[in-house]
Amino acid sequence: MARRRSPARLVIALSIAVVLAIFLLYTSIAGGGTPALSPSQLVGHSGKVQLGGVVVGPVTGNAREGGLRFRLRDRKGSANVAVVYTGSVPDPFRVGREIVVEGSVRGGTFVARPGSMVTKCPSKYSAASSKQH
Amino acid sequence: MPELGRAALVVSLGLIVYALLAGAGAAATRRRRLAVSAQNALIAAFGSTLVACVVLAVALVRHDFALTYVADHTSRALPTVYTLSAFWGGQEGSLLLWLLVLTGYGVLAVWLNRKRARDLVVWVVPVIAGVATFFSLLLVAVASPFKTAPAPLDGAGLNPSLQNPYMVAHPPLLYLGYVGLTVPFAFAMGALLSGRADERWIVATRRWTLVAWTALGIGQLLGAHWAYEEVGWGGYYAWDPVENAALMPWLAATAYLHSVMIQEKRGMLKVWNVVLVSLAFCLSIFGTFLTRSGVISSIHSFTQSSIGPWFLGFICAVTTFAVGLILFRLPLLRARTRLESLVSREATFLYNNLLLVALCLTILWGVAWPILTEAVRGEARVVGRPYYDFFLRAFGLPLLLLMGIGPLIAWRRASIRGLGKTFAGPALVTAVVGVALLVLGAGSSTPGLVAYTFSAFVLATILLEFARGTRARHALSSESWPAAFSSLIARNRRRYGGYVVHAAVVLLAIGVAGSSAYQHITDRKLAPGQSLAVGGYTLTYRKLEETKRANANEIRAVLDVRRGGDSLGTIKAGKNAYSAPAGQVSNEVGIRTNYLTGEDLFVIAEQVDEDGTVYFRVFVKPLVNLIWLAGFVFVLGSLIALWPDAREERRLALRYREAGVSMTAR
Repeated sequence: MARRRSPARLVIALSIAVVLAIFLLYTSIAGGGTPALSPSQLVGHSGKVQLGGVVVGPVTGNAREGGLRFRLRDRKGSANVAVVYTGSVPDPFRVGREIVVEGSVRGGTFVARPGSMVTKCPSKYSAASSKQH
Repeated sequence: MPELGRAALVVSLGLIVYALLAGAGAAATRRRRLAVSAQNALIAAFGSTLVACVVLAVALVRHDFALTYVADHTSRALPTVYTLSAFWGGQEGSLLLWLLVLTGYGVLAVWLNRKRARDLVVWVVPVIAGVATFFSLLLVAVASPFKTAPAPLDGAGLNPSLQNPYMVAHPPLLYLGYVGLTVPFAFAMGALLSGRADERWIVATRRWTLVAWTALGIGQLLGAHWAYEEVGWGGYYAWDPVENAALMPWLAATAYLHSVMIQEKRGMLKVWNVVLVSLAFCLSIFGTFLTRSGVISSIHSFTQSSIGPWFLGFICAVTTFAVGLILFRLPLLRARTRLESLVSREATFLYNNLLLVALCLTILWGVAWPILTEAVRGEARVVGRPYYDFFLRAFGLPLLLLMGIGPLIAWRRASIRGLGKTFAGPALVTAVVGVALLVLGAGSSTPGLVAYTFSAFVLATILLEFARGTRARHALSSESWPAAFSSLIARNRRRYGGYVVHAAVVLLAIGVAGSSAYQHITDRKLAPGQSLAVGGYTLTYRKLEETKRANANEIRAVLDVRRGGDSLGTIKAGKNAYSAPAGQVSNEVGIRTNYLTGEDLFVIAEQVDEDGTVYFRVFVKPLVNLIWLAGFVFVLGSLIALWPDAREERRLALRYREAGVSMTAR
C-alpha cells in the first residue's frame, strides 16, 4: 500500500507557525509584562510597575477626592514607600493587609493608576478575593 | 477521635501503597489473584478514607475545637451548612476530599470495567494508586487534618463573603472535575502499559471524561457567579492565576473530547490523544498546586506552606512518567489512516485542537511568566488583562467559527461545492444578522460584533442540523414532528447532546461579548436627591438605610430606578460591617436583572461618607445573564450526551470483541 503524501504534517507545522507568529508579534509589540516589585526593589525603576507590599498606617485622605495616602512596606523587611491611590478600594483593605497596586514613582511617592488596587486575602486556602478593575 | 482519623489515613496510605506495588507486580507478571487483591486494597482504601472523612465531618459539626482545623475554619455561630462546607475550606480538608473522590472514582471505574476491560484494569489500579499515594502521603506526613492543640473557646469562623451557597458548591464540583481527569489518564497509561493501541481505553472513559469536564465547567461558572454577586467589582473573571488554574485543564479536556472522536472514527491521532489526556491531568495537578502553594503572586496567595515543593515534585514525576511511557510505546501508536484533505471534518477538529491548546498554553505562559522572568532575570514580571483578552479573541473567535463549520463538514474530504450548498443558508443568516447588528449600533466594538456574528452563524448551523434531522426522521418513520424530534435526539445522543453543548458555548460567548464589549460604566458621587444616568437608566439616590443584625451592621443606599419614563422600582447597594470577625467590611452590590433582555443593572456603593453622600459606580451589562443560562444548557447537553444508550452499548460490546480479535491477529 503506497503511502499517499498527506498534507497533515505540513498543515500542522504551518498552523503551529501561525500561532507562534501571532504570539511573538503580540509580545514584541506589547512588551514582556510589567515588573512586579516590592518597595525595596523600586529603586531605579521609573516606568510603570506593579508594586506589592503590606499596608502601613496611618491611612489618610479619600480615595475618591484627593487620593488615599498610606505607606507600603516589604512583606519581609522594613523598606517602605509612600503611596497615593485614587479609585475603588477593595473591602479587605486595611493596615497590615497585603495589597498590589500598579503605577509609577513620581518625586519619591508611588502614584498608583486609578482603580488598580488588588488586595490579597489573609493566608487561608479558599479565602475571599477582592479586586477592582 | 482525632486518633481514629489519623489511624484511618495511615491505613489508607498502607492500602494504597500495597495496591500500587501489588497491582504493578500483578500486571507485569500476569497474576490474576494478586491483581484482584490489589483491586480490593483500593476499595478498602476508599473505605478507610471515608472513615477519616466522617471523623472530620463529625468533629466539625460537634465544634471540636481541639482540632486546629476545626478551630481555624469554623465558629460556634456559623450556620451548619457552612460548618460542613468548611470541610473543604482549608488545605488539609480539601486534600482529604481530593483523596476521597480519587479513591471513590478509582473504585467505581475499576468496578464498572472489571469484566470487559480486564487487561486495562490491571494497569489502571496501580496508576490510580500511584496518584493516590501522593495525596495520601501528604495527608499523613505533611498536612494532616487531625492536628490537635489546646482548644480555644471559639473558632476563627469563616469569612462572611464565603458564606454563600455558590462557594459551598464551587470546590466540590471543581474537585469532581480535577480528580475526574485522573480516570482517563489512568486508562490511557494503562493502555500504554499493557501494550494496547486500540480505542478501548477511550471508549471506556468517555463518560468519565464528560462528567469531569462538565463538573469542571460548572464549577468555574459557579465561581464566576460568586465573584460577580458577592465580591462585586463588576466583573466575573479576572484572569487571576487561580481562575486560570481551572480554565487550563478544562481547555485541554475540551480539546481531548474532540480529538478522541477522530481516533474513534478514523484511527488517527493516537499519540496526540495520550499526550492531550496527560496534559489535561498534569494541568489539573498544576492547577491545584498553584492554588495552594502561593508560588505565584495572586490575590489568592495562600500560606507559603511547605506543600509547594511536594506538588512540584509530584508534577515532575508524573510528567516524566507519562512522557517516558509515550516515547516508549511510540511505535505502537501508528495511525491506521492519514489525513486526506485540509477541508474535512478531521482537519476542522485538528484546527479546533490547535486553537484550544494554543489558548491553553498562552494562558499557562502568562501564569508562569512571573516565575520564569524571576528565575532568568532576577526580577518578576507580570502580564495583565490585555494579554489574556488579546489571545482569548485571537484564538477564541476562530474557535467559535469552527464550532459552526465542524459539524456540517464531511469526513475525509469535503468538496467545495458541497460546502457551498451546506453553508449557503447559515452564511446568509449571518450576513443579515451582521448588518442588523451594525444598524443597531454594535459596530462600536469590533471584537464584540465579530463574536455576535459568529455566534449567529453557529446557532444557525445548529438549528439547521436539528431541522434537517427531524425532517429526515419524520419522512422516514412517519412520526409526528415532536416524536421525530425526540427520537432523533434519543437515537443520536452523542451528536445532538454535543450540539446542545455547542449552543451553550455560543450563549456563553454572546453573554461575555455583550457584558464586556458593550457595557456602560458611570462613576458619580451623589447626595440624597441627586441622579445619574447610565445606559438608558436613570438612578436617583433617595436615602441611606441602616439595619442592625446579630453579626453585622447593614448599610444600604436606596435608589429609584427609571428607564425611559417608567419607574422600575428601587435598588439597594451598600456595605455590611461585621462584628465578628471585627472590623471586616463587605461590599453588597445591588443587581437588577431584566429577564427579558438578560441585561443587568449593577450598582456598587463604593464609599459612604458621614454626610450621607455616596460614591456610586454603576454598570449596565447587556446580556450578562446568558452566561448563567449557558450553564444550564451546558448541563442539559452533557446529560443528553452521557445518557446510557442500549443500542450503543451493544455496538460497543461488538467493538470490544473485534478489538480483542484484531489484537491477537496482529
